[in-house]
Amino acid sequence: MIAETPSGLGTSAPRREDVRLLTGRGRFVDDVHLPNMLHAAFLRSPLASARIARLDVSAAQRLDGVRAVYTAADLEGLVKPIHFDAGIEGHKVPPYTALTGDKARYVGDPIAVVVADDRALAEDALAAIEVEWEELPAVLTVEQATAQNAPLVFDELGDNVIYHALHEYGDLDGAFARADRVISVPVRQARVTSSAMETRGIVVDFDPVDGEITCYASSKAPHMLRGRIAEHLGHDLHRVRVIIRDVGGAFGGKGAVWREDLVIAAASKLLGRPVKWIEDRSENLTAFGGARDQGFQVEAAVLEDGTILALRVSMWMNHGAYPGMWLTPMFAALVRATILSQLRIDTFSFETLIVATNKNTYISYRGPGSVETLVRERVLDTIAAELGLDPVEVRRRNLLTVEEQPWQMPMGVTVHRAHARETLESAVELADYAALREEQARARAEGRLVGIGVATSIQPCPGFPDWWEAIGYKTEAAPARLRLEPDGRVTLVTSEMPTGQGHETTLAQVAADQLGVPFEHVRVVLGDTNTTPFYYFGTGASRSSNMGAGAVIAAAHELKRRLVELAWPQRSLEEIARSVYGRGDARELEAVDVLAYYEPHATEGGWAASTHLCVVEVDPRFGTVAIRRYLVAEDCGTMINPAIVEGQILGGIAQGIGVTLLEQAGYDEEGQYLAGSYLTYVLPKADDMPEIEIHHLELPTDEAFSARGIGESGMVMAPAALANAIEDALRPLGVRVTELPLTPTRLLELMGVLPEDSLTVL
Amino acid sequence: MKLGRFAYHAPATLDEATEILEEKGSDAAVLAGGQSLVPVLAMRIAQPEHVVDINRVHGLDAIERTNGTVSIGALVRQQQALVSAELRAACPLVCEALPHVGLRETRSRGTVVGSLTHADPAAELPAVAVALDGELELRHGGETRVVSAEEFFVAPFMTAKAPGELAVALRLPVSSPGAGWSFLELERGPFALVAVAAGIELDDGGRIADARLVFAGVGPGPVRAREAEGLLLGAEPGEAVIAEAAEIAVRGLEPVSDVLASASYRRHVARELAKDALAQAARSGSPE
Amino acid sequence: MSERRHVRVGVNGVPRDGLVEPRRTLADFLRHDVGLTGTHVACEHGVCGACTVLVDGEPVRSCLMLAVQSDGAEVTTIEGVAPEGGLHPLQQAFRDCHAFQCGFCTPGFVISGIAFLNEHPSPTHEEARHAASSNLCRCSGYAGIVEALELAAARMKDGA
Repeated sequence: MIAETPSGLGTSAPRREDVRLLTGRGRFVDDVHLPNMLHAAFLRSPLASARIARLDVSAAQRLDGVRAVYTAADLEGLVKPIHFDAGIEGHKVPPYTALTGDKARYVGDPIAVVVADDRALAEDALAAIEVEWEELPAVLTVEQATAQNAPLVFDELGDNVIYHALHEYGDLDGAFARADRVISVPVRQARVTSSAMETRGIVVDFDPVDGEITCYASSKAPHMLRGRIAEHLGHDLHRVRVIIRDVGGAFGGKGAVWREDLVIAAASKLLGRPVKWIEDRSENLTAFGGARDQGFQVEAAVLEDGTILALRVSMWMNHGAYPGMWLTPMFAALVRATILSQLRIDTFSFETLIVATNKNTYISYRGPGSVETLVRERVLDTIAAELGLDPVEVRRRNLLTVEEQPWQMPMGVTVHRAHARETLESAVELADYAALREEQARARAEGRLVGIGVATSIQPCPGFPDWWEAIGYKTEAAPARLRLEPDGRVTLVTSEMPTGQGHETTLAQVAADQLGVPFEHVRVVLGDTNTTPFYYFGTGASRSSNMGAGAVIAAAHELKRRLVELAWPQRSLEEIARSVYGRGDARELEAVDVLAYYEPHATEGGWAASTHLCVVEVDPRFGTVAIRRYLVAEDCGTMINPAIVEGQILGGIAQGIGVTLLEQAGYDEEGQYLAGSYLTYVLPKADDMPEIEIHHLELPTDEAFSARGIGESGMVMAPAALANAIEDALRPLGVRVTELPLTPTRLLELMGVLPEDSLTVL
Repeated sequence: MKLGRFAYHAPATLDEATEILEEKGSDAAVLAGGQSLVPVLAMRIAQPEHVVDINRVHGLDAIERTNGTVSIGALVRQQQALVSAELRAACPLVCEALPHVGLRETRSRGTVVGSLTHADPAAELPAVAVALDGELELRHGGETRVVSAEEFFVAPFMTAKAPGELAVALRLPVSSPGAGWSFLELERGPFALVAVAAGIELDDGGRIADARLVFAGVGPGPVRAREAEGLLLGAEPGEAVIAEAAEIAVRGLEPVSDVLASASYRRHVARELAKDALAQAARSGSPE
Repeated sequence: MSERRHVRVGVNGVPRDGLVEPRRTLADFLRHDVGLTGTHVACEHGVCGACTVLVDGEPVRSCLMLAVQSDGAEVTTIEGVAPEGGLHPLQQAFRDCHAFQCGFCTPGFVISGIAFLNEHPSPTHEEARHAASSNLCRCSGYAGIVEALELAAARMKDGA
């Protein structure tokens, strides 16, 4: 019995998706069963760097139930080499094959695939494949990879530097000369992985008779997947279809196309049968990919009152071995184009060094540029500590006001209607910051290690077109299709591909609101490339509330205009539908079937803002961190569905807690991967979470529709707020926080309680 | 992560089970709860040719108290033990530790004896068995032998159980009614990093008449701190002597360093938990 | 040897026969042989809980149980917790509390939650949080799940 609940725009309408998912009727890729379907398993390198001296699959091929075993040689000519080159100056992109044929470059590198009657048989067959390896020295860190005579990850590149660039804006020497002080801030963040509860997976069904390919996948970009399969297999694009129903979490990484996808597609073509590959958790943690793994050195030119005159930022990124589809210079550009956030800084330099190592591929993970917030907020707090100022005061001194906007960042990125300052003031007031400081003083007098941390940031959700230009991606229009159906209700076809965000609900709320119809009268269709309009990017970058919803609004405007011509609302939608469909003329039906686009505006829908404020206590005996209070003040414009907004924030904060305190996708000095199961890759659980208070500002703007995204914000903000709070807690001990994760071992080492004898984890 | 192939046996009697195991020797693994064995098979860390499922064998699922001994059969589930009033009355330490063992969902199937034979150095029940001077009853063919818990745990994931031998029961002396017990654990991820089992019994003068202190997660198996126990005997359970005992207990410990924690951290936590556990055990007993 | 064995398992009250390899897990048997794909596989080493089902009324990680071990047992999967067309109070509470997003972990949480509420019909907030800590969710941040457990407990006491 589903209770009547309000479902208009701005209400926490219960989700359409829920009953299906709650009762086990979701359809995820491993739920897809096709007649004649085979199952694949990949043979993956156990070594970080090794030449394949001999690879003999014949014994595996002979096993009962094994239908094929393919290596790189078998796929030559069938799958084009992968070469993600976007023509970025100075960016080295080594081409590589879907299966590695020459040398393995990371633990988990796929070198062969077995296709068998079931997955267990396929895994049995992996053991029968004979491989002789010539082990080579591996490089795991940027230091190792850029050392004199370092072993090369890709021999043809000459060195391991993938990209090195310096961007300078304004008169840096002048600003540094004028500074009262130059404050140095190092920050490092370890490699992590996204670990959605559903691993990757794909079913490719090539029909040898009609030449059509149908794919089912755990992906958030169906049109991209379709395009890449067509391109890499030299298959007609119009003969490739991707159908996706439910995806168990994506968090960025599933918005790209992977080597395994192409191998499975090739296998299906070769065998003329459907082939399924479901990544297991060990593969997912080891071989899917890593994120963050970045290090910074920041020099801040400041005045005694905390005003920042200029920043010199130097960043390295550990690229891993093979380039993924989203190019690492773009991730670097995300950092460069967002790190100044809403600070009043126009003099700035940013050096980027991206280096290849024998680690897994660099992937996009929720807020792929989010280290910019960690770094900037650490810089602000360090400035406060060095100058003896309150960290909130330092932010007040440097944050732009609304009156100063629109503001142009030095790299040409416009900041407008960005309410960072307002979220800071809101958080400070709601938390009663002054009282928190008093409580902290009392706690400190008792010898307790209590800290307060603040982080403020603006996030491009989606950001104006000039932000996208600055990161090297041309924003496209977002499509939506609205159609009046014979029963007088409406179908919305969207190209958004939800992986938990609830688009079937939120976009229906928008459409219903626009058309003035009940929420239940809007049926949402998505996920099938035969039905959904072309939209390469799919869902991501916190864009759907603005662009995806904006497309729905554009379609609704046009549909309403046409309905008015058909005498709506004097005639009801049912009446109009009856007469239009009754005549059965396709041209008339066209009148009530609208495809429209949301064009990214130069000046609308830009930035979401938030402040996270937390209070922590560090246990001096066990090095554990208790989060005593956690408060969010955020402005993402008009909220379509507050419960969904909060769910996104909460989930992001959980992941932020994970990367700050628990998770490390680490390697040992030989390049062996250390976190291949949930025993060693520690995910946050319910009892790791504090109670979180969320306050929505929903500040009005002059826009017609001011919804902005929020999906990444929790993950962007939590590490910064927590890192600041933990350092604040340890301030009486003179500890500086310069790296994540802050494990209990690490905290006790920093506090001088333990010697620094942790295992080296790279 | 699909399991490798094996020949599966599901004997209906203990004799059948021990006969198959005797025949197959080290080529066979025993499947009871499966909560430790199945992940090992799924990850293909071990690929035994034979798996002998003892779940159909009658008579192994009882908790029995006879005179001064409690016997926990090989098929007693961890959850069954956790809620056993009889076990709580006889050996409270076991029931103190069990809520920390795995998760509710793994305790439905996981067995007490199975946790002992798996011998994970960070597991709780081996430490409890050692703390209580327990014994493992082992069957090989028709023969039975008994091995003390202390001798049973040889190395990480290795026990004194011989190939082809079946552990049929854990035997524990009934604890003294006046003793106080404590089991404390620090987790990282789903499982324990370090755990401590402590027991203190006071005489009517308020002095320590019996002390037990055993660690998990800091050595190749459970580590009993006999020197620390000796220091506590005859003393009043004050903060200073407890701290000294904890200090001695961890001296010489060589835990591993891994991605979850350093050796120093484990040693440090062991000491801190030992202090807390001894103090708690001292408070929770009731002298006769 | 490793030849297939016949099993008869009661699944949601219906006897299901199968001919399975001994190495087939209960999770894979339910998903692929019985065809009930609501039980999900996400780690295959018992930690995440997405595969949790009830076996003879007790919560069990179906990825850690062999199908052959479930011969003669009564298994309840997510498809069987509510009458046709309805929702179990915990499912309803999950919905009302917006307790999940992608839905992949959800069936496991619901089953674990039902087992928990059967044993702890009036949980404290701490008990509910601790119960929610036995499964992993990557989307929700857990707050809604804890809330749903408490809401369902309250409603079930009131006879909802």
